[in-house]
Amino acid sequence: MSQLDFEISQRPDFAIVTVRMQPGEKVYSEPAAMASMTPSLTMKAGMKGGWKKALGRMFAGESLIVNTFSAETAPGEVLFAPGIPGDMMHYELDNNSLYLQRGAFLAHSEGVELSAKWQGAKGFFSGQGLVLLKAHGKGDLFFNSFGAILEIDVADEYVVDTGYIVAFEDTLDYKVVVLPGSRPTKTIKNFLFGGEGLVCRFSGQGKVWVQTRYVHPLLSWVYPFRPVKSKD
Amino acid sequence: MQYEILARPAASVAKLSLSANETITCEVGAMIAMTTGIAVETTSGKKGGSGGFMKGLKRMFAGENYFLNHFTAQAPDQTLIIGPTMLGDIVHHDLRGGSLVVQGSSWLASETGVSVDATWQGFGKAIFSGEGLFWVKCSGQGSVFLSSFGAIYEVDVEDEYIVDTGHIVAFEDTLQFRIVKAGRSLIGSFLGGEGLVCKFNGQGKLYCQSHNPPNFGKLVGPKLKPQ
Repeated sequence: MSQLDFEISQRPDFAIVTVRMQPGEKVYSEPAAMASMTPSLTMKAGMKGGWKKALGRMFAGESLIVNTFSAETAPGEVLFAPGIPGDMMHYELDNNSLYLQRGAFLAHSEGVELSAKWQGAKGFFSGQGLVLLKAHGKGDLFFNSFGAILEIDVADEYVVDTGYIVAFEDTLDYKVVVLPGSRPTKTIKNFLFGGEGLVCRFSGQGKVWVQTRYVHPLLSWVYPFRPVKSKD
Repeated sequence: MQYEILARPAASVAKLSLSANETITCEVGAMIAMTTGIAVETTSGKKGGSGGFMKGLKRMFAGENYFLNHFTAQAPDQTLIIGPTMLGDIVHHDLRGGSLVVQGSSWLASETGVSVDATWQGFGKAIFSGEGLFWVKCSGQGSVFLSSFGAIYEVDVEDEYIVDTGHIVAFEDTLQFRIVKAGRSLIGSFLGGEGLVCKFNGQGKLYCQSHNPPNFGKLVGPKLKPQ
């Protein structure tokens, strides 16, 4: 049973979530996520969890600040939207953890803690950054994607291009490798905009959420259209 | 090969089910996820074929290397999920002899019975250099997966039809075509932003996309730092 009374609409291309709050309830979101809300709710920007955890979140691509929305004496409603157009999923944490890619976190209820997971050598070549965000506890979590989200139940093994991973359950083991047999393209564009040919091999039992688009190839595509500096 | 197109119409992906020894050829970067019983090989041309593809693509990418991935199932019941770069849709075309001329960035994948030739220059070289458009000619038998920027709409041309070239996803080569001015005068055409368009004649299928990749690139590209 989820804590929050919510509704995700406009899936899979422009997903937003409406959270209806009762007095005493709080919901936490990434900055700039609030699209609209009733004036009965109050918002406080802050470094929830203390500065160390906030720093960890920053390294995972999420910002330092987590905003707190509270219904104090009256009920209210708040709509959250991510920056990038795409899909959204709700996950109920039940004393377990979910790992999120950078930018995937949107909002969570009380009882959920966010921290950074240092990938160490595993993430070193991924071009995705060294850190995944870890959501742990008991409560509601909302995460988003670029493009649509496909939910995959891994029963044995599964391979996902690193750029397309949105989130995965902590019951899965993972290893970042170069796609065997492939040759990663070595153009300057790809060096700047992300590692092609790198995949994550999941094993065990658990869910992984995959997005159907990825921003980096789009950036690489736009890159050649940059204006040319005049040679005066 | 079984296929299913998911997440339509704006973030479409193709989910392919491969039986043992079935192969699909895709553009590099198309692979999103797959089961582990698939072997991947990278080449710069048609599997076992000539370097014709490479030549055409080099022209488009100004000499950069471009590769193809061939995915072959090593065991039964393998799944491969592929998708393009742009937000938009995917359509499956069943090629049965004849040819399909496809805008280069719209070609997503095809079975090995389909040969892909990137040296096709039916529109003429000069007009489209710098536009970022190149064309591949798909011939043979098998599935071809096309992607689009925006929505895909099909037109069954019966007589005549005009399309802005950036909006062409693919067309059957049973159609004749001519590059013409959009307006009465050449200057008028360019001022109107339309410039040159493609006039199709005859009978055949034409796949169009709602949005125009070079126009989009020209809108956002100039906002980046100069090269």
